[in-house]
Amino acid sequence: MTQDDIDFTDKEDDDGITRYSQKRLRKAEFITPPNKLKKKVGSGGIADEILNKAQVLLENTEHDFLPLAERYLNLIMQGIETARKNKDHKDNEAVIAGIIYPAMQLKANGGMLHYPLVTQVAERLIHFLEVIETPDDDVIEIITAFHTSIRAVVMGRVAGDGGKYGDELKEALNDACLRYFNKDRKKREESPDYDENF
Amino acid sequence: MSYKFYNISVLVVEDNEPMLEITKSLLATFGIGHIYGEKNGKDGFEAFKMINPDIVIADWMMKPMDGISLTRLIRNDPSSPNKFIPIILMNGFSEKRRVIQARDAGVTEFLVKPFNARELYKRIVQVIERPRQFVRAPDFFGPDRRRGRGPTAAPYDGQFRRESDLANPQIIKLIKEREKIAHEKLAKIRAETGLGKGDKFDLAFQDTTDEE
Repeated sequence: MTQDDIDFTDKEDDDGITRYSQKRLRKAEFITPPNKLKKKVGSGGIADEILNKAQVLLENTEHDFLPLAERYLNLIMQGIETARKNKDHKDNEAVIAGIIYPAMQLKANGGMLHYPLVTQVAERLIHFLEVIETPDDDVIEIITAFHTSIRAVVMGRVAGDGGKYGDELKEALNDACLRYFNKDRKKREESPDYDENF
Repeated sequence: MSYKFYNISVLVVEDNEPMLEITKSLLATFGIGHIYGEKNGKDGFEAFKMINPDIVIADWMMKPMDGISLTRLIRNDPSSPNKFIPIILMNGFSEKRRVIQARDAGVTEFLVKPFNARELYKRIVQVIERPRQFVRAPDFFGPDRRRGRGPTAAPYDGQFRRESDLANPQIIKLIKEREKIAHEKLAKIRAETGLGKGDKFDLAFQDTTDEE
């Protein structure tokens, strides 16, 4: 496509949105399938009592989180071991992905099985893992701290948000992440390749 | 009148046994007629072909086949009995790029774990009340990814409003107009009663103003 193909006139479509009238680059077919589901269920929603009953059922579930947590904590530990062996940092992405998966499972399942503190701590771990690029020794140390913390929560059967203990734990882990990011930023700034405009 | 959930069937695909049981129990409490469970995407697709359910609820991360691959099979495989079926993807990730990844695979709704009963119900209501048009393009088949835009995305401000509806300029305009009217009414009430900004008043008072 060249500049000549573009009509730069502002045009208001039927939906009232102004768009630049640019030639379509590809053809797309729009299909409105029949709403069979709506026909089957009709209208009206379900009663609040049913939703409350479902919520009570969820809150009183007796599934034990411990075996699940053990499985995912072991996977995180395996990931940490793999990261330690990955000295040349060739497989950084795979190493991080290998730890994100069990961390995500802990985040997802903790809260559903009466361990919201595990969810909160694991969520912080995921956020940390999502932004780091190189799982170096400092990173491994932080991941290990998260692992130890989650393990302590699960083994100590700290159900609920953990109260003051939970807050202190999250704060300590947050501080550890912040210290890492500050150190990492400083390291980048001192690097000869550092570009402040980048 | 309430939903006749007993008329529909739902396939839940989740590798985590407790989560599978919990999701099935919640759906049973909602009154869903037939609930089927499978433990990975591969078995899930086989079951889907056999059962042809009305809704699929799948976890993202499963082995040997995850929820994203299952979605792609349902949407594109020639043996799929219903390529338009609503697919609700459950996952622990809430980051935008993950949601985009799921959306690009053809997922209809995204449910972040941990979730509560109302959140699950809300997703089901969304697929019933606000089905999305489908798009067939050379490199994509699935629900229209442009929420709040496009020919069928008429401005919606009803009880099933999604956060993404706020991307529609017409909705933003509508909301701003409403805010303006509400501010004017509030100013009128304050002027008539002499109430200050921090003072509380009975909402019934506003109803009287509406009647005028």
